[in-house]
Amino acid sequence: MFNLVIGQYVPLDSVIHRMDPRSKLISVFMFVVIVFLANNWLTNVLLILFCLGGILTSKISPAFLFRGLRSILIIVLLTFFLNLFFTGGGPLLLHIGWVRIYQNGLIQSIFITNRILVIIVMTTLLTLTTSPMEITDGMETLLNPLKKIKVPVHEFALMMAISLRFIPTLLEETEKIIKAQAARGSDFTSGSLKSRMKAIVPLLVPLFVSAFKRAEDLAMAMEARGYHGDFGRTRLHKLVWKRRDTLLLLTMGLLTVALILARL
Amino acid sequence: MDITFHNVTHVYHPKTPFERTALDRINLRIRSGSFTSIIGHTGSGKSTLVQHINGLLRPTSGLITAGDLKIQAQKKKQDLKPLRRKIGLVFQYPEHQLFEETVIKDVCFGPMNFGVPSAEATKRAEECLSLVGLPSQFWHQSPFDLSGGQMRRVAIAGVLAVNPEVVILDEPTAGLDPSGRKEILNLFKKLHQEMNLTIIMVTHNMGDAATLSDEVVVMDSGRLVMSGTPEQIFSRDRELRKIGLDVPETMLFLDSLTDKFDQPRMTPVFSLKGTADRIAGLMNGGAADV
Ligand SMILES: Nc1ncnc2c1ncn2[C@@H]1O[C@H](COP(=O)(O)OP(=O)(O)O)[C@@H](O)[C@H]1O
Ligand SMILES: [Mg+2]
Repeated sequence: MFNLVIGQYVPLDSVIHRMDPRSKLISVFMFVVIVFLANNWLTNVLLILFCLGGILTSKISPAFLFRGLRSILIIVLLTFFLNLFFTGGGPLLLHIGWVRIYQNGLIQSIFITNRILVIIVMTTLLTLTTSPMEITDGMETLLNPLKKIKVPVHEFALMMAISLRFIPTLLEETEKIIKAQAARGSDFTSGSLKSRMKAIVPLLVPLFVSAFKRAEDLAMAMEARGYHGDFGRTRLHKLVWKRRDTLLLLTMGLLTVALILARL
Repeated sequence: MDITFHNVTHVYHPKTPFERTALDRINLRIRSGSFTSIIGHTGSGKSTLVQHINGLLRPTSGLITAGDLKIQAQKKKQDLKPLRRKIGLVFQYPEHQLFEETVIKDVCFGPMNFGVPSAEATKRAEECLSLVGLPSQFWHQSPFDLSGGQMRRVAIAGVLAVNPEVVILDEPTAGLDPSGRKEILNLFKKLHQEMNLTIIMVTHNMGDAATLSDEVVVMDSGRLVMSGTPEQIFSRDRELRKIGLDVPETMLFLDSLTDKFDQPRMTPVFSLKGTADRIAGLMNGGAADV
């Protein structure tokens, strides 16, 4: 439960950590789009180099990042093998039973897997270097124009911020209740499927009870401190766009141009 | 049963940026039948320590023994049920673990998990609920309709109903009103004295630690810094203050009183009666009965 790195903020001090969440969000969004420009070895290598550069600048230990990504390895491998087995073209490389692997199939699967991997690494890097609060702040500011057409951007951002804020709390609570019931002899990890399902009830009921109670308390506390929605609300942390943010976007622009040139 | 810790270290989330050493080479012996209090600043590792005793946490290195059962770092699965049957743990805010439709069913949950037949479990549940002082009119109500203090009693009964030999209490009085606190503490005293249970209590209240226990263990930043009788521990008040702890109020009171009378400090006393005796001594003879 706790070795999933995705969505976990690691407070360190690096250039990437200090950047404005807006520039990071735009960049990751751009990255996810331009990844699809990669169609040959050169462009794929470019993407990998860009990712490695990002990881190094972020000061996050690569070993930690990749260990956390292990849990989604299965999806990546599945994509790889599906493409490997079902894409034809080019000379036949291998033929065992019903499995036929063609050269184009192999190359295609490597490219597609690489795309998925770099997208995952980049988005993970975003959440590892940007606190949930910053992400929601950035999103809210970026989506601000939508308020003109009556999209409740602020409310969505608030809902997201609250959910993100309480995920660690809920995990902690879950761990605590699992332990408390285990101390009373309940066992979630062994026995038949049926007995394990039954062991879930003593876990879920207290979790729901406390989640509802927490929500009620939070609503009350917000109201008591005068929360009244978006209108007339000022910000504690003003987002500041610095030169490094402009530089990041320029780098993204350069990467795009490089990819377009290299795919020819 | 005796409980021992041999060089126990616990690291949370090892090899990640969130790595944190919560216990650092702990050596400790808790005698069978003793009442041991564990004191220390918030985050000093008290909860982590006690969760090792019934195998909820495994040490990163080192060994814990409870009677003839052993807990150590190992990947292999170990059946911990015999251990948990003998060692009950009441978590901090244990009322958060209640889930059944009725109080009595909730108290039966523990015994039934350990294979006690339902009739026998109900009998034990009734005994334990009477023991913790919950009137029988509440037994068939939903636990969620009770007050906080009553819910805590139900949760404690739920652990006692397993008939453990050792009861671990993690800040059992946190958030209770003064009278509820007193009743709960009296219950533990009774369990210790009359039913001969070994009690291990984590507490922030120095007075409780001093008056109830025969052994006090002091934790600071994951290390065990002192252990001994309440008198031994609380006479080292300077060291205690250095790690953010205090001495019982009776001692504070007597110390400021002796200072006023220009008398030397006295050996610690913790009970109100003992304090009164000391004051009487001061007023009668000037010098304290050291
Ligand atoms: N589940 C956990 N995951 C990570 N760190 C934890 C966890 N539980 C406790 N810690 C850390 O271990 C240290 C000791 O905590 P704890 O044993 O709860 O102390 P205490 O009970 O004395 O307040 C603290 O620094 C705490 O932040
Ligand atoms: Mg604690």
